[in-house]
Amino acid sequence: MKQNWKKLALILVPVIAAIYVLYPTWQSTEYESLWDTARFEARQQSNPADSIAVIQKFKDNYGESFESAKQKRIKLGLDLRGGMYVTLEVDVVRLIEESAQKDAVDELFEKVIEETKNYLKTSDEEAIPVFTRFFDEIARPEGKSLISYFDIGDIRNASEEAILENLENNALSAVEQAQEVIRQRIDKYGVSEPNIQQQGTRRILVELPGVSNEEEVRQLISTTARLEFNIVRNNEKIIRAFKAIDEYLSKRKGLFGEETINESELVRTEQAKTDDNSPMDTSLTKDDTSSTSTEVASEEFENSGTLSEDNTTTSNPNNPYEGLQEDDQRKLYKSRHKFTSLFATFFIPGENQDAVQYDYEVNPPAGDYYFMISEEDLDKFNAYLRMPEIKSFIPFNLKVAVEAKPIRNSQDQKNKVFRFHSIESEPELVGDVITNAQTNIDPTTNSWIVNMQMNTDGAEKWSKITGANVGNQIAIILDERVYSAPNVISKISGGSSQITGMANAQEANLLEIVLKAGALKAPVKIIEERVVGASLGEDSISKGISSSIIAFVLIILFMIFYYARGGMVADFALFINIALIFTVLASLGGTLTLPGIAGIILTMGMAVDANILIFERIREELTKGRSLKSAIDEGFKKAMSAIIDSNITSFLTGLILFYFGTGMIQGFALTLMVGIVSTLFTAIMVSRALIEIQLSSSSSEFGFGQPKEA
Amino acid sequence: MRFFHNTTIDFVGKRQTFFFVSAILITLTVIGAIIIGPVMGIDFAGGTEIGVKFENTVTAEEVRTAIESSNFDGAEIKSFGTANAYLIRVKDSDDAPSLVKNALDTKFANNPHTTLKVDKIGPKIGNEMRTNGLIAIILAVVAILIYIGFRFEFIFGLGAIVALVHDVLFTFTLIVIINKTGLFNLEINQSTLAALLTVVGFSINDTVIIFDRIRENLEKLKGKKLTEVINISINETLSRTVNTTLTAALVLVTIVLFGGPVLEAFALTMLIGFIVGTYSSIYIASSFVLWYNDRNKKLEVAK
Repeated sequence: MKQNWKKLALILVPVIAAIYVLYPTWQSTEYESLWDTARFEARQQSNPADSIAVIQKFKDNYGESFESAKQKRIKLGLDLRGGMYVTLEVDVVRLIEESAQKDAVDELFEKVIEETKNYLKTSDEEAIPVFTRFFDEIARPEGKSLISYFDIGDIRNASEEAILENLENNALSAVEQAQEVIRQRIDKYGVSEPNIQQQGTRRILVELPGVSNEEEVRQLISTTARLEFNIVRNNEKIIRAFKAIDEYLSKRKGLFGEETINESELVRTEQAKTDDNSPMDTSLTKDDTSSTSTEVASEEFENSGTLSEDNTTTSNPNNPYEGLQEDDQRKLYKSRHKFTSLFATFFIPGENQDAVQYDYEVNPPAGDYYFMISEEDLDKFNAYLRMPEIKSFIPFNLKVAVEAKPIRNSQDQKNKVFRFHSIESEPELVGDVITNAQTNIDPTTNSWIVNMQMNTDGAEKWSKITGANVGNQIAIILDERVYSAPNVISKISGGSSQITGMANAQEANLLEIVLKAGALKAPVKIIEERVVGASLGEDSISKGISSSIIAFVLIILFMIFYYARGGMVADFALFINIALIFTVLASLGGTLTLPGIAGIILTMGMAVDANILIFERIREELTKGRSLKSAIDEGFKKAMSAIIDSNITSFLTGLILFYFGTGMIQGFALTLMVGIVSTLFTAIMVSRALIEIQLSSSSSEFGFGQPKEA
Repeated sequence: MRFFHNTTIDFVGKRQTFFFVSAILITLTVIGAIIIGPVMGIDFAGGTEIGVKFENTVTAEEVRTAIESSNFDGAEIKSFGTANAYLIRVKDSDDAPSLVKNALDTKFANNPHTTLKVDKIGPKIGNEMRTNGLIAIILAVVAILIYIGFRFEFIFGLGAIVALVHDVLFTFTLIVIINKTGLFNLEINQSTLAALLTVVGFSINDTVIIFDRIRENLEKLKGKKLTEVINISINETLSRTVNTTLTAALVLVTIVLFGGPVLEAFALTMLIGFIVGTYSSIYIASSFVLWYNDRNKKLEVAK
């Protein structure tokens, strides 16, 4: 009996593991249908506030568990869920063309480029070697060298090798740059679970589930980004504008169903008068979202305080919060500040002074401010700013730009916090004046810096701009997101600037990539594009599922028909096998594609092969007159070498397919390999355990469908 | 239940006949395939392929005229699974998908269509996939040769490879011919490649199991002729060979019938390959070993 426990464990452990791993997949489909009903209900509502309430209710009840289930579920490939798949490649020839100095380009150079382009149409060779070959053939006999066409900065270091190395580096950073831009844009476009990854050194693979408007996406990923330098104006002007927005909204219902409280309805008591707490303070500490901002903010600016409460009461004699319960104070604050309560505002009283939180209750003191907003409020924030009546409050020469990366302390947190800036709407300079940018370490401070060079024209303007803005911040903006907003320390003439303040190599590299976006406009082209319509995806899923079920039933029937109880055992093992395949796929984070389903169906066919081999052997041993027990032992033993040999060869082909195949084919190869491994386990171990357990309980009878004969 | 019991079929006795038949058949299909010329799918050929489904009846000819009238010369139209669904293939152009959509929207204003899928493959990627595919097949064959050669005698590895080449050649040329008949859309693409590699895996599987039995019986049945040993081994494993092919075929026929247009071609290729593979495991692989052995007298038993 003790022996049986081990065998039972062999069966139960995979079953339990499967249930545990696959539960989130089941759960997320449940939530998905709940989500669909919620959205349907929301659409039925007559007013937007009620619709939002329905959605909010769903999010409150299931939001988090839905998210976590989504993370852990088996992902469906684009061919099943519908969507778009694009491969981009850096156009190295165009990059060479653009890197050349415009005034140096002549007919010879153009001919070299032309020849290179023609050659590469039919060849897989790398572009740079092909370019040099044609250059040697065409331009060099005419007495030209690469130095005649390319500028490498310092004339003393100029060499052909350096130029080629520079081209190669530019091609590499073009890939990274394009990736960064695409990621930001896709983020903004709002695709759920996009996948953007680099493939090799020249390619980017973009997978966008659920996207069907190809035209728009193609635009989105293949337009080159614009790099701009804008002066930062985080001053009382924008604060006044924000305050005006609050006032405007305080008389209206918010965009997101925020309540508007009628002050006279609130109950005021003498006891509840709380002079110690400014209402904004309570609102920020009690509210989850904003409290994160305050915490992070205070980490970044140590000892940051709030505007003193005396200030609040004295400057505002008709304190509207007086005599209110804490809870009501908070509600009233939110109602009065529908816009500015989305983010945190800090006032910097002066140099080397602590920043204090500003609450929009008093008139803004003149000076510099800074803003922080948590990721989940960004959408609301942007939605408000897009409204024309709200836009009209922002001075025409200013606009709001959010930073591209969350602030350092919040990067690993679930709730990321971003800074945003008010910037001049007109850029001072656009990025094409930049000739180069490199990351370096400042030897004196041992910190990361990025050096940026500009051409003569740019350097001249830059010197004027920096001269006029010493002490101001200048934002470096790519695609409308702020990547850095360094302070101008002094006038920069000569065109070479140094940007400090990066915490690590990663940040410095990102800035370098962004700056280079100005120098070369990462020429990428789409070389492969596949779109699967949602209807075809659904059709494929339903056909995949129905054919799997039919195939499964056919196999089960055949096995029982041919191998009787042995067949039942094989069927049970097959069932565990399929559960295991899904389990392994889910825990590997694999994606289920249509060829993947085919792979699983095929595994069903092949999996019983191992059992057939074993059972045939057992039958042979039985006809030789062996006892049931020893026939089973022998059968398993003798079938082993054939099973192992045949499965290893199949596994080898799977491995090769996985290595050479792309996307969809890899899905097939992966399920095939996983299937082979789990087949070996279930067909050999699990089915044997099953047979032995049954033998030990009902002892004598166990058939393998062999005809009864003497 | 038992289909085969103590069979004593002389599988290798008539090996010359089977070799001959196989050789003739393969020559015929290869010539046929060369005359027809394999039709490359979008993956390998490059270009743009768009799958559309119309709500109401439309013939392929009407679709073709609509596309050609909007300056797409040589558009190919094929049916795609269900009724009124078509695959439209045009030469590569940057905005082929939207041009095709516009053409169909204007020509069939009363018959709206939905885009089922779009595949746009640059010529370079197509080239690359073709090269990678070829490398994959060759590597698979080499890897198998090495493994079998390592586990069995070299002759067996050679026998297995002969059977494999037989299977791949036969299957490939057969699908080229079937594609020509228009019964199924069997263009050569990445899925074909995956299917062929699976055929390779399956066929080697079958062959290995028979070889395994021969290896075992060579020990057990010392004193018998190799011909006899091989015949006994094939007979002993016949039940398994047939049953496994049967279950796999059950599955594949199910996919061909119910799997939808995307999987249909994939499963059909495998089905053909599996049947050919089973035949070659029984009649070609071992027979080759025997024939080679007769000529070189290397594996002589009972001496």
